[in-house]
Amino acid sequence: MASKTATNMGTLIESNTELATFYIGKALCGIDILSIQEINKHFEVTTVPQAPDYVVGVLNLRGRIVTILDLGKKLGLSQIEKDKRNRNIIVRSQDEHIGLMVDAISDVVTAEKDKIEPAPSNISGLKGRFFKGVMKTKSSLIGILDIEEVLKD
Amino acid sequence: MIEDDEILQMYIEESLEHLSDIESDLLTIEGDGENIDIDIVNNVFRAAHSIKGGAGFMGLTTIKGLAHSLENVLDLIRNKELVPTPNRISVLLKGFDKLESLMNDIQASNDEDVSEYIDALANITKSSLTEEQQDMVTNLLDLTLADGRVFPAVSQYSIEQAKDDGRYIYLVEYDLIQDIQRKSRNPIELLESLEKTGTIIDSRIDFDSVGTLGDNLLSTRIPFQILFSSILEPDMAGTLFDLEDQYIHVVTDEMLSISNATEDDAVAAMPLRTDIEPELETIPSMATIVEQEAVVSPKLVATQKQKSVTATPDIQKEQIRSTPATIKTASQEKEVSVKQNIAPVNKQKETFKVEAQAKQQPVKAKPPVAARKKVESVATENDINDYTNEGDANNAMNMSKPVGSLRVNVNLLDTLMNLAGELVLSRNQLIQGINSSNAKATELSSQRIDMITSELQEAIMRTRMQPIANVFNKFTRVVRDLSQELGKSIDLVIEGKEVELDKTIIEAINDPLTHLVRNSVDHGIELPHVREAAGKKATGKIILKAFHDAGQVNIMISDDGKGLDPDKIAAAAVKKGLMTEQQVSELSAKERIDLILLPGFSTAEKVTDVSGRGVGMDVVVTNLAKLGGIIEIESKTGKGTDIQIKLPLTLAIIPSQIISVGNEKYAIPQVNLDELLRIPASQVKERIEKVGDADVVRLRGNLLPLLNLSQVLGIKKTFIHPDDGMEYPDQRESIADRRSNRTGQNGKRESVNSIHAHERSGQDRRYRASSAINIAVVSAGAHKYGLVVDELRDSEEIVVKPLGRHLKKCSGYAGATIMGDGKVALILDVSNLAQMGELTTMAEAERTAKAARAAEEAREKALDKASLLLFKNGPEHCAAPLNLVERIERIPVSSIEHVSGKKVVQYRGGALPLYELSQVANVSKLPPTEQQEIIVFTVKGRELGLMVTPPVDAVEISLDIDDSTLKQVGINGSMIIDGHTTLLVDIFDVVKNLNPSWFEDEKLAAADMEEAGQKVILFAEDSAFFRNQVKGFMTDEGYSVITAEDGEIAWNLLKERYSEIDLVVTDLEMPNMDGFELTSKIKKDPLLSHFKVIALTSLASDAHVKKGKEVGIDEYEIKLDRENLMKLIRRYLNL
Repeated sequence: MASKTATNMGTLIESNTELATFYIGKALCGIDILSIQEINKHFEVTTVPQAPDYVVGVLNLRGRIVTILDLGKKLGLSQIEKDKRNRNIIVRSQDEHIGLMVDAISDVVTAEKDKIEPAPSNISGLKGRFFKGVMKTKSSLIGILDIEEVLKD
Repeated sequence: MIEDDEILQMYIEESLEHLSDIESDLLTIEGDGENIDIDIVNNVFRAAHSIKGGAGFMGLTTIKGLAHSLENVLDLIRNKELVPTPNRISVLLKGFDKLESLMNDIQASNDEDVSEYIDALANITKSSLTEEQQDMVTNLLDLTLADGRVFPAVSQYSIEQAKDDGRYIYLVEYDLIQDIQRKSRNPIELLESLEKTGTIIDSRIDFDSVGTLGDNLLSTRIPFQILFSSILEPDMAGTLFDLEDQYIHVVTDEMLSISNATEDDAVAAMPLRTDIEPELETIPSMATIVEQEAVVSPKLVATQKQKSVTATPDIQKEQIRSTPATIKTASQEKEVSVKQNIAPVNKQKETFKVEAQAKQQPVKAKPPVAARKKVESVATENDINDYTNEGDANNAMNMSKPVGSLRVNVNLLDTLMNLAGELVLSRNQLIQGINSSNAKATELSSQRIDMITSELQEAIMRTRMQPIANVFNKFTRVVRDLSQELGKSIDLVIEGKEVELDKTIIEAINDPLTHLVRNSVDHGIELPHVREAAGKKATGKIILKAFHDAGQVNIMISDDGKGLDPDKIAAAAVKKGLMTEQQVSELSAKERIDLILLPGFSTAEKVTDVSGRGVGMDVVVTNLAKLGGIIEIESKTGKGTDIQIKLPLTLAIIPSQIISVGNEKYAIPQVNLDELLRIPASQVKERIEKVGDADVVRLRGNLLPLLNLSQVLGIKKTFIHPDDGMEYPDQRESIADRRSNRTGQNGKRESVNSIHAHERSGQDRRYRASSAINIAVVSAGAHKYGLVVDELRDSEEIVVKPLGRHLKKCSGYAGATIMGDGKVALILDVSNLAQMGELTTMAEAERTAKAARAAEEAREKALDKASLLLFKNGPEHCAAPLNLVERIERIPVSSIEHVSGKKVVQYRGGALPLYELSQVANVSKLPPTEQQEIIVFTVKGRELGLMVTPPVDAVEISLDIDDSTLKQVGINGSMIIDGHTTLLVDIFDVVKNLNPSWFEDEKLAAADMEEAGQKVILFAEDSAFFRNQVKGFMTDEGYSVITAEDGEIAWNLLKERYSEIDLVVTDLEMPNMDGFELTSKIKKDPLLSHFKVIALTSLASDAHVKKGKEVGIDEYEIKLDRENLMKLIRRYLNL
């Protein structure tokens, strides 16, 4: 299932795709809600010395070892600031659960195909290659993240 | 052709199981020779037989043919018509090997050419038979039924045999649909049950009678024909076979006719056989086909094969056209039981693909024609599936690769089920207990769950456990084949076959073990004549042993071969540039042997086909390390080699030691853990030293390099304050105490006094001086080191879980686990940590540590050890050589008599003169006492007593004598013993001063010598003290003495001045060249060998004496025993 979701995401964003949106710094990003396993706020991570700097640590998620990444750092921004609104978005990728730590969770919005445009080279300081597209809504601009691209080492 | 399904899978598994036992059985048969054990032969026979039986049903014609030939030979052995010679067994072994490889690639098996094996087997069979019978072996009969159908190509030999035994032969036709499928029977089970009442000669599925679409009279039966011989009478047959009489045919001679098909054709016979047959030339007998093959040029063979290849597409098309009706019947049954038909069926479903197939054909014809054989049709089929229906094809592909499956004992399965049931019950109880807040119930159920979980874990583990015999058994064959090839004679002893290991481990140790066993055969065991020359039995012995020890499985591979030569290995390591000469010279023999574990090392002088293929022991080590195993080598040159492998029972759950650094916990697998060490704060300065840049710990006399985990992992070092439990940053950069010994790169130890030179700074201060240092001593492969951690915690069984892909680059971890509190703990990879902790620094530290150790040892060695008697003279501490002491007495002062100014005591019927040290030397007078301690010495054959003050004690000590500061008359010098400046009493000097008359002989002798010409003695001694002492003895008696500081100097002096020297006296322990070497050099030199050598020693142990005798030392004397030494010298100089 994981691979299928991934390929779909990689190719196109269909209409009626629901996007879970969240903030990284000031940027509002979204990912297909179907690729999300769960969203939680477990921060009792075990730090892993010598790990890449964007790895927050590892977490026990019901018997599974999940690597938690600081999505801010991973995308080349500053570290996610500790805040009680922080959340881990657990996604499945290549048969593995990975947690993405974000600043805060926002709404779930429905993607509308005609509002999606190709990603510019830079969205609020984030590199364009991490995005599959941008969706304009009345109030904001949602960068739709390409999870596989983001999770590349 | 054949699609995989459960039955085929089952057949393959069963057959492989049969085959796995055959090898050892055959080897036993070979070992037994003529006295065969009928049970074992029967075993093998039955295996071959049941493989043949199943193959007939599956349409695996090649396998059937081969199994049949094997069966024939085995039958002869069973009937004692054939003696199982090694050659014959070899043919059988090869046959079974082939059979196994066919089994493993069942899809392609029908296209393999096994005629070579069949011929060889047929030749064996023929050799034991009469001429007439010989024909039968290869002759085939066609069996024609009353309705004209033919059961082709039955071995005449088998039929004749059955007839000879007075058995009836039946041709039984089961209908795969009616009799088997509908009755939910399994064809293989059917064959097995028939085997109980008779012998299956042959079996096949009669496709011809299935008919084609064109036929109006379409048969709905798919007959599974079994040719069966049994002693049962025909009237019983109906009951036996559970069939209507019309499907049971009693075979009579009339029904049989010589077939014009050869066995080879039978082998090639496939469902499509009848269609192909016209195109194939029929050749009367096996022999001719072989001849022809030999004569026919390769080209011709190729074209022949090509022909049949090109023929296939048409046939297939035809087949496809003709199948729909059959399909209907088959699909009505929902189960496509006729495997051979499935391929066409599949295609049938999508007829439009046929064209694609036709197009495919030319495209696929890329491989060289000759290599293509008839396999092509199979290949294309798969390819087409790939192109046409991806999903299905994938499934088919997955299925055709046998997915690993495991046989589990039903009892065990029941246990598991029970446990699962209990677990559910306990869960219910637990939930209830929690809901009702019943603490007691909760506790009880948690206890139960705890118990059940352990049992469940154990039971599930057991399902994965397999006896190590699965791996071990094949070595009988490996050793047999290899030793034959190499002309060696080797007995393989296998012990502990029943020891069980996890399936994955069993599979993974196969290669490393094979490598090690091959090594033992190839490099370990010598050729018979070499062995005999070395006084060993011509037949070498390899012992393969498995046993449990300390929760681990141990595997030992021992051989009594030539062993490993540490020096050769060291030399090779230097030659290969793996180490420098310098590094190697610092290694012990065992460490040198361990060098073969280094990557890129192979000791074989020439690369042999057998084991020296460029991959060395390092591959073995790496493979074992992956399993969490370790390897230890012990070897005695000339005696043999023991290799011990330690493996965990399983990989999933491992016992480990939990440690912590800062706030995080880490797990160290118990396999890697040697011991735990806690160095109390008070001992840090003595036990932890700095060598070069690295810290080392003193552990039972060895220096062990230390690795600070927080440093290696880059964890910020913190300290938990014992008072408030808070974490504070630790300022220290080094573990070693600032007062610890420091050993520089040159191996010299800085003196303890220089510690003040190191300024105190915050860097080397612990937060609290009272904090002990915790060390986990770990080993992995060649490394052994101490891991410095903050705290040592419990030892726990942990479940290994993999780390995510973003952490793959962190090589310091072997995985992660979840602790009881739900937090994740990382599992440390001990060998990778060693590398991360800059192995170079570590190796450097190790080397410097070794240098330091060696320097220390050398220094201790250089110092002569001597036994001294310690006593006091009033307040002064004194010592005298123990060997001069006769007795120690205590007498009442009142018994001392004063006679003519001398003190004497009545002693053993004589008068013993008593002296005290102050009479000669400038020391204190003895304080008055009532009881006087007397040390009785013997000098010049006369006894004298020295009055001393207790305590009197004997010690063995390295002499480090200061012979200047406190030297005076009667005192040789001084040294520090137990913190006291101790005077070394020179008894001879004392006596000489007190009784000069005793020494008049010497004076005379000296005078004599002066007249007769002075004798010259070469005296080698490294200790200045002894050199002066002994030289003094000698010159006193008038000898001229040439002194040398060590053996080398002595040797050079002797070479230059041998004409003037009369006698050599040497110390044994000396730097550069010791006494043994000096002596052996002297004795080997023709010019010098006449020199007598007297060795001076402080301790003449038996081993020493023996070694001395070997190199030619003429006499031993104890140092400082002046009298005897002088006697000896006189004797040797014939004075």
